[in-house]
Amino acid sequence: MKKSGIGATLYKIMTKQKAFIAILVMLAGMLFSRTNFYTAYNLLDMLNSTSILLILAFGVTFTVISGGCDLSIGGIMVVSGILAIKLLDVMPMWLAILVAVLFGAVVGIINGFLVVQQRTEPFIITLGIGLLLTGVAQQLTDAHPIPAKNPDFMMIGNGDFHGIPNLVLIMLVCFGICYFLMRYTQFGRNLYAIGGDYDVAMYSGIDVIRTKWLGFVISGVAAAVAGVLLSSKLNTGSPVYGETTALVVNCGVVVGGTSFAGGIGGIPQSALGLLVFGLLDNVMNMLNITSYYQVLLKGAVIVAIIWLDCYGNKRRREFV
Amino acid sequence: MEEKKTVRKAGHSIVRDYLVLVMIAALVAITAIVEPKFMSGANLVNIMRQFGPLIMVSLGMTFVIMGGFIDLSVAGTINLVAVVTISLIQPLGQAPALLIGLAIGAVCGILNSVLILSSGALTQAEALFITFGMSTVYSAIALLYSHGSTMHFWDIARSKSLFEAIGGGNLGFLSVSFVIFLTCLAALWVFQAKTAEGRAICLTGGNKTAARLAGIVVSRSIVVIYTICGFMAGVGAIVLFSRITTAAPVIGAGYETNAILSVVVGGTTLKGGKGSVLRTVMGVLLVILMSNCLDLLGVSSYMQYAVKGAILVFAIWLDNRKQA
Repeated sequence: MKKSGIGATLYKIMTKQKAFIAILVMLAGMLFSRTNFYTAYNLLDMLNSTSILLILAFGVTFTVISGGCDLSIGGIMVVSGILAIKLLDVMPMWLAILVAVLFGAVVGIINGFLVVQQRTEPFIITLGIGLLLTGVAQQLTDAHPIPAKNPDFMMIGNGDFHGIPNLVLIMLVCFGICYFLMRYTQFGRNLYAIGGDYDVAMYSGIDVIRTKWLGFVISGVAAAVAGVLLSSKLNTGSPVYGETTALVVNCGVVVGGTSFAGGIGGIPQSALGLLVFGLLDNVMNMLNITSYYQVLLKGAVIVAIIWLDCYGNKRRREFV
Repeated sequence: MEEKKTVRKAGHSIVRDYLVLVMIAALVAITAIVEPKFMSGANLVNIMRQFGPLIMVSLGMTFVIMGGFIDLSVAGTINLVAVVTISLIQPLGQAPALLIGLAIGAVCGILNSVLILSSGALTQAEALFITFGMSTVYSAIALLYSHGSTMHFWDIARSKSLFEAIGGGNLGFLSVSFVIFLTCLAALWVFQAKTAEGRAICLTGGNKTAARLAGIVVSRSIVVIYTICGFMAGVGAIVLFSRITTAAPVIGAGYETNAILSVVVGGTTLKGGKGSVLRTVMGVLLVILMSNCLDLLGVSSYMQYAVKGAILVFAIWLDNRKQA
């Protein structure tokens, strides 16, 4: 059944490495434009502004690999960010951040309970949890942005270490941890097995429920960390950022090559996928594309890439 | 022993199936006692008026969910239909504007179904992300078309009596929008329950392979459900901007989640295959009554978001228990 020739190779590249190709195309295209794109400052800035999305994506990857997805991360992100800022007034900074991150873990446990233990559809139940948390965030802040008063807190998201922004460093640390967990631990390998085939994994003696559940907790924690960093970067807690973030990040993960079918992908792929969006934003700004066209292009890119992912799944089904 | 079990099981299933009705009754009773204003004529008229846009969108969404898919693009469709229709009243007149608006809704739906069919998306999750992307695209087109500005009725020199009637007119003791709702409900119910195509949609949602083997053209069912959903989103958009007499390119935000919420709370299962537009009416009634009660009880609109999310989660969880 195997096809050969240029068509098949091209098809394989398009479905497997689409994020990498998209990045190469954008980088090559920018060679011909007379902008400040190829400056260390711009590229570092691009990385800096994508860092928070990347951290969200690393967490979500754990749920997508095991055949689920997590659309509550937007809600977790805003509530954790607001919690951190609110708690700064009453307790030391490290404790406030810890509580905010723990909140993410608790939501992750609830998500895991509903999805894994009760076997509900992950995307719709987490969408509901996200809606709930957005409401909580608006209630906490009265739908207004609330400022932080602690300058140390602001430095986490805005400071730099020998010229490299803190956010990028934190992102790299998260990358390292997640990559290690996914690649070199039994837990990570079990996640792949569960995503590949749930029943086979169960009969092979993997504790499927606990493993998948832990994936949701990691996703919640990552979202909470991203929320704290976002609050610190903006020096405000605001309920408006959660709306589409969750969907965009989940799309980005798929763009990278982690499939909703589960069992395929990884942390580096997710990083590439989100970088496509970061780079696209940056390139569109550099080329002075108006914001409405930016929305249009982004939507079209999302549709095109998800379409390719589904098409790839269909082809795979037909081969089997 | 066995009999007792069956009786108890039957009791359970009645409570589960009609939980929405029980909840509506409880909600009405509690609010009527705590806040006598609830039963006043003015408030009841207010509730009837609120029945407008959300129910239209939810009726269309029912078919998509019954067919085993989901449609997040209704928000974008509403944005697009609203800004295009209101802008066409001046150059073309109101009846052509209305028809073009409805056609745009249907075309958006067809476009969704074409994308889903051509990619071979089978699961709800895949459909969810494709339609989310399309929602962004439609909203962006709406923004580009309107240059991001809000159109008002008073900017239009030509007659707009049709839209004013839809927005605030009365036929006898019923509002015009309520009559539109009854018409749509009757048509869709007949389609769903009395035609072969309607039952084919149910079968498609239940089991696609079995449906195909039974001779049902699954791809046609998918086109039909998305077209209905897009068309009804168009109807909802027209009712919505007629009532508030303005159309902004972000007018439809939040309608997708509220519609899904109403459909699921009404008892149409997310797994597909089971459901009814009549159930959706109950679901919408519950959602509207709940907002109305929470308003009267002085709960902030922010907290209502949270309550809605909690109810959505609870309804899905319950739906899932029913399946098990």
